[in-house]
Amino acid sequence: MKTTQYLPSSAWAFLIWLITMTLLPFTIILGMSFLERTELGTILFSFSLRNYQQLLDWVYLKVLVKTVWLALMATLSCLAIGFPVAYYLARVQGTMKSLGLILLFIPFWTNFILRIYGIVSLFGSNGILNQLLMFLGLPKASILYTRWGVYFGLVYNYLPFLVVPIYSSLEKLDPFLREAAFDLGATRFQTFRKVILPNIKEGLFIGSIFVFIPMLGEYVIPDLLGGAKEAFLGKVMVEQFFILQDWPLGSAIATMLSVLLLAALWLQNRWTSKGLAHAI
Amino acid sequence: MRFRNPLVSFMFWTAIGLLYLPLVYLVFQAFLENPNDWRGGFTLKWLIKLFDSPALWEPLLNSVEIGVLSATLAISLGTLGAVGLSNISAFLPPVIQTLIILPILVPEVITGLSLLLFFLLCRFDLGFLTVVVAHASFSASFVYFIMVEQLRKLDPQMGEAAQDLGAKPSEVFWKVTLPNIIPGIMGGWLLAFTLSFDDFLISFFTSGAGLTTLPLKIYSLMRIGISPELNGLSFVMICISTCLVLLLISKEQSRKWVLKG
Repeated sequence: MKTTQYLPSSAWAFLIWLITMTLLPFTIILGMSFLERTELGTILFSFSLRNYQQLLDWVYLKVLVKTVWLALMATLSCLAIGFPVAYYLARVQGTMKSLGLILLFIPFWTNFILRIYGIVSLFGSNGILNQLLMFLGLPKASILYTRWGVYFGLVYNYLPFLVVPIYSSLEKLDPFLREAAFDLGATRFQTFRKVILPNIKEGLFIGSIFVFIPMLGEYVIPDLLGGAKEAFLGKVMVEQFFILQDWPLGSAIATMLSVLLLAALWLQNRWTSKGLAHAI
Repeated sequence: MRFRNPLVSFMFWTAIGLLYLPLVYLVFQAFLENPNDWRGGFTLKWLIKLFDSPALWEPLLNSVEIGVLSATLAISLGTLGAVGLSNISAFLPPVIQTLIILPILVPEVITGLSLLLFFLLCRFDLGFLTVVVAHASFSASFVYFIMVEQLRKLDPQMGEAAQDLGAKPSEVFWKVTLPNIIPGIMGGWLLAFTLSFDDFLISFFTSGAGLTTLPLKIYSLMRIGISPELNGLSFVMICISTCLVLLLISKEQSRKWVLKG
């Protein structure tokens, strides 16, 4: 085994790129979150915690609670739908397995905006759902531009990101565990609850966190599927930059989300005690 | 082994069906005489009209140019990184490992916003170049992991043999290593191109006012409302994306990444 004390120059090209294009921009956000904005909209270069204090304001707390609640519901729904999907993929063998995985992922490599637009044309006032309801003589359903629109958008777009971690933790399970449980007289449900579930609960938890945190910062879904009145953390954050011109406050929200994400990464690293390369 | 639980397989196929429903409906809509009413009959006229209009060609060309340039930039940087680090990638300090993986894990909103602030503070003009650089900033890390894997499969004795025969390190790279990792480079380039071509959010933040890519065009039309032009563009975009994914899946090096999102 050769451990080099110095890094080769080719590696430096890549690392310097990462430092300038990833680390530096993050540092700017972090630094910005401790600055203040003057009445005129310019940035005052003095250290303050005002932005973080402001986030504890009732106006923002209400948004935070609502966002956390909606993201939590969406994550739980993703779990409920994603678990059988992952379970099927983990248990089925041969061609069906690869076909199933490919079928699951093709929609998520079509453009994100198109997936949202697809939801708009399904649920819109002239969408297929309402045409169907009209055809049956039922009243129109208004899902779009309410929090339900945001909810459906979140579940639809984040589902595969939860299926993958569940699938890989199920794949890692020893198949004999299940057989042993059956041989010892356990029912299907007992096997699931007492053998399978305890073995994958960490995978479920970490997978859920990595879906939940990006949901909190989601901007496009609430912007396009939620109504104008529906305040959502990610939307509020982006609006600080583009509409209200309060970069320091927007940066404070972005920093908060990044810290949560790094904490989750650290937690995963500790639990799985493997290199970070296994995180993806 | 046959799959025995019919309930689970029913749930799986229902979920798959629901995932495809919105996209299939978009394609279907592009061929409707009246996009809001499926009883109006079918037509090709919207698509024919779209192919004659600059609304399709200009954003499409921009998307392709940005994709080609950013994928080329990403593949150069990612390959350089992998060549330098592949021997020691397992022993890298956690800080460097985190740095490499961060662009993949961080939500796009945050990447986009931080790059926007970075470009504005450096007084770069937002536009074509900033989008190219921004796309490469996250796809280089994907490329890095593909290339590390590709390099690990190489026989280390090949490089050593070349060195013993008197090749300089640069000659070893250009004449021995590089020709052997060409399949990885192609797979990585294609992945980086697809990531760039499909990207909306980072382009949205870093493109400024003048530049339109295909996803940005679809977004701006969507804000106005449903139109035949929008449905036509969606159809074109779905076709291109699906072809790109199928291409990625057909390549062994990038297949794994498609199935990880």
